[in-house]
Amino acid sequence: MVTGQNRTSVPENLKKQLAISIRSIQWSYAIFWSVSASQPGVLEWGDGYYNGDIKTRKTIQASEIKADQLGLRRSEQLRELFESLSIAESSSTGTAAGSQVSRRASAAALSPEDLADTEWYYLVCMSFVFKIGEGMPGRTFANGEPIWLCNAGTADSKVFSRSLLAKSASVNTVICFPFLGGVVEIGTTEHIAEDMNVIQCVKKSFLEAPDSNATILQPISSDYHIDNVLDPQHILEDEIYAPMFGTRPFQATSPSRTTNGFDPEHDQLAEDHDSFMAEGINSQVQSWQHMDDELSNCVHQSLNSSDCVSQTFAEAGARRGSCSARKGRVQRLGHVQEQQKNVKMLSFDPRNDDVHYQSVISTIFKTSHQLILGPQFRNCDKRSSFTRWKKPSPSSCGTASIVAPSQGMLKKIIFEVPRVHQKEKLMLDSPVAGDETANHAVSEKKRREKLNERFLILRSIIPSINKSDKVSILDDTIEYLQELERRVQELESCRESTDTETRGTITVKRKKPYDAGERTSANCTNNEIGYVKRTHVGEAEPAETGLTDIRIRSFGNEVVIELRCVWREGVLLEIMDVISNLNLDSHSVQSSTGDGLLCLTVSCKHKGSKIATPGMIKEALKRLHGYVEDILA
Amino acid sequence: MSLKPLPSLSFEHPYPPTKLMFSPPSLRRSSGGDLLASSGDFLRLWEVNEDSSSAEPVSVLNNSKTSEFCAPLTSFDWNDVEPKRLGTCSIDTTCTIWDVERSVVETQLIAHDKEVHDIAWGEARVFASVSADGSVRIFDLRDKEHSTIIYESPQPDTPLLRLAWNKQDLRCMATILMDSNKVVILDIRSPTMPVAELERHQGSVNAIAWAPQSCKHICSGGDDAQALIWELPTMAGPNGIDPLSVYSAGSEINQLQWSASLPDWIGIAFANKMQLLRV
Repeated sequence: MVTGQNRTSVPENLKKQLAISIRSIQWSYAIFWSVSASQPGVLEWGDGYYNGDIKTRKTIQASEIKADQLGLRRSEQLRELFESLSIAESSSTGTAAGSQVSRRASAAALSPEDLADTEWYYLVCMSFVFKIGEGMPGRTFANGEPIWLCNAGTADSKVFSRSLLAKSASVNTVICFPFLGGVVEIGTTEHIAEDMNVIQCVKKSFLEAPDSNATILQPISSDYHIDNVLDPQHILEDEIYAPMFGTRPFQATSPSRTTNGFDPEHDQLAEDHDSFMAEGINSQVQSWQHMDDELSNCVHQSLNSSDCVSQTFAEAGARRGSCSARKGRVQRLGHVQEQQKNVKMLSFDPRNDDVHYQSVISTIFKTSHQLILGPQFRNCDKRSSFTRWKKPSPSSCGTASIVAPSQGMLKKIIFEVPRVHQKEKLMLDSPVAGDETANHAVSEKKRREKLNERFLILRSIIPSINKSDKVSILDDTIEYLQELERRVQELESCRESTDTETRGTITVKRKKPYDAGERTSANCTNNEIGYVKRTHVGEAEPAETGLTDIRIRSFGNEVVIELRCVWREGVLLEIMDVISNLNLDSHSVQSSTGDGLLCLTVSCKHKGSKIATPGMIKEALKRLHGYVEDILA
Repeated sequence: MSLKPLPSLSFEHPYPPTKLMFSPPSLRRSSGGDLLASSGDFLRLWEVNEDSSSAEPVSVLNNSKTSEFCAPLTSFDWNDVEPKRLGTCSIDTTCTIWDVERSVVETQLIAHDKEVHDIAWGEARVFASVSADGSVRIFDLRDKEHSTIIYESPQPDTPLLRLAWNKQDLRCMATILMDSNKVVILDIRSPTMPVAELERHQGSVNAIAWAPQSCKHICSGGDDAQALIWELPTMAGPNGIDPLSVYSAGSEINQLQWSASLPDWIGIAFANKMQLLRV
């Protein structure tokens, strides 16, 4: 047979795969152009599947036939017809040939009159061959790139040689893409805009199709495929063999299917069943539910065709007698129903797990909506515009590369357009300030409120504040801060001198700080912070170290040194020595002693070129007193 | 499916509108047509009559008491639950709530310190607004003195440009910042801490829309010409959240709407095109 040769380079089970893929996207036909084994450098008809409009239906049990069945059969019939016609053509003379032809012609289920236009197109395509590089399939094969043709009917014949045919068949969109070592061409009567997703879908459905061992056989009129679905034997066709719940294990099915002395009918059933299941696997929930309905229908129907049921069970390998009492049959049916549910539990094939699981999830969520089902299960059948997100490769910019202008339109809407209105307003309205001052007033008010709040807090913190106007509050705060600073200083120096335990007056002096503190704060209001201590000699002395306080002021050449220290014999002399050592000429000294403290004020001048800085003076005096401490200790 | 523009339904708008929106389905009008509102210089209402033969202006609403010009409106939102209520927001830092049936101002609030960029209703009397001062605030009309800040942009004063309140799950809101590729998801129960930051856009985000039928899905479109659909998980992974699916448009996506009545469809606008995408 002519066809036999062609089929060698065609992948097995291609027709089924084409069938599935084309049905899933609902296009009209699919053709696989394969590299010819007979002629080099040429693509010719490999296999095809026709899914388009059909003019006549020549099957007997029309109501029970499913679309897939119809499609496969139809494609077969078309192929048959083609072959018969081509043989008729090629064989020119001879009665033997003629009779052969006539026999063939009669064997073909279809005759040319029965074909719809699109079917005729499909048929004629079978006769085409394309040199690699020519014609749409040829170019696709040569370039390795898909070609998408819209408005195929009006295409240039150089681009698409079958354009006239396509026009008469109203085939509108044709695409070719390289696949499986050849070129897959799919076409439809609708106008579909270019979308690579379609090609992806087709490719994917090829991968998902079950790889069954069924050979494609000639279709026969009557069939039992409906009941066959219930046959658990066929469920177990593939590698995965899971025992049914509560049933006896069945024999391995593949040998029995193909080698068993089944009549062709049964083989037909096998094939039908496979394809039926294939459809079920790869389509959406709806078709699963459809199958559910069908199965349940089938169950009912099979009640009527008792023979079939018993027959299938006879073949189930359990070797149950075909004579089945009614009761038995019902039991088995119930059994089958259970198994029918188990159909869902079984995995037919590892590749179909996902799709199967998807149906499980769909029934749980009672929806087949893509979003709810999650990203794992892409339903290309739904023709979603979105594709699965993938992490961009590191080479592509990962972080926000702000293309200038960023958010251009949005900013225009929000920022510019309103200003346009405002500008208009500005131009027309003379007292412009209206909105803007309102704006300012509001924010100004808020600011003032915040400030007032802070002043209140400050007032509550500072103990000495009586007045509540802001200036006084700030002044009092300044004084208080300075007082606190001084106190801290004194306390720190107090702490130093506690180590040297020579004071008998320590405790006495310790008490003083509080009085001193109070007194000084009471004096704060006089605004004579810096000079308080000087006027209250001997009373304000919290310190216990030798040197309680040094204050040095310098005006130009003059230096005024005020200090307070623990009095002892000769301390005054020592201090004066130090001062004079620093090149300071003291011209006035005021001193007073009380409570063991010496308060001293020395006014002196710098003499000579060497100027002693206040820091140096302080250091020297401190050292003096440190020295003094050592001596005393 | 095909789309045809109806020339009889086009009408002139005196100023470029900043937003257009149809009245929610809960607004039943005696005349039967649809109301369309537009914001720009004023809030305008238009009626599209039943047989879609014409679009007529109904009213022009001005919320300024003093001048004949009102402060320009940046956006508005129509309340689904209380459909006669419409809230507008403006660059004069105020939000105005209208009663569109009587065409009067219900109330006017000073919402923010700076211009208000977007407003969204959550419930009949509760709305939220975002502003150039970088804060998302929730207001309740029963207590107009107080508002709650539920988010502030991390860099102070980064304006927030758009806001979307999830109508299926009123706890969730989304907002986008100026010049940022992040979509910030907020939970109104935990102020100041965003629930998630969706950071997979490669350019600034321009528009966001929650899914009308699910409470966990959101779609965003940005300057990288991509529309991303995200699903918000209950627990985010360590690397952040990845989108579910992506669509690449021809150029920057400027607008995005997820159809409420046909939840399978999302409309996007880029360059001078409008496109309908199937989810």
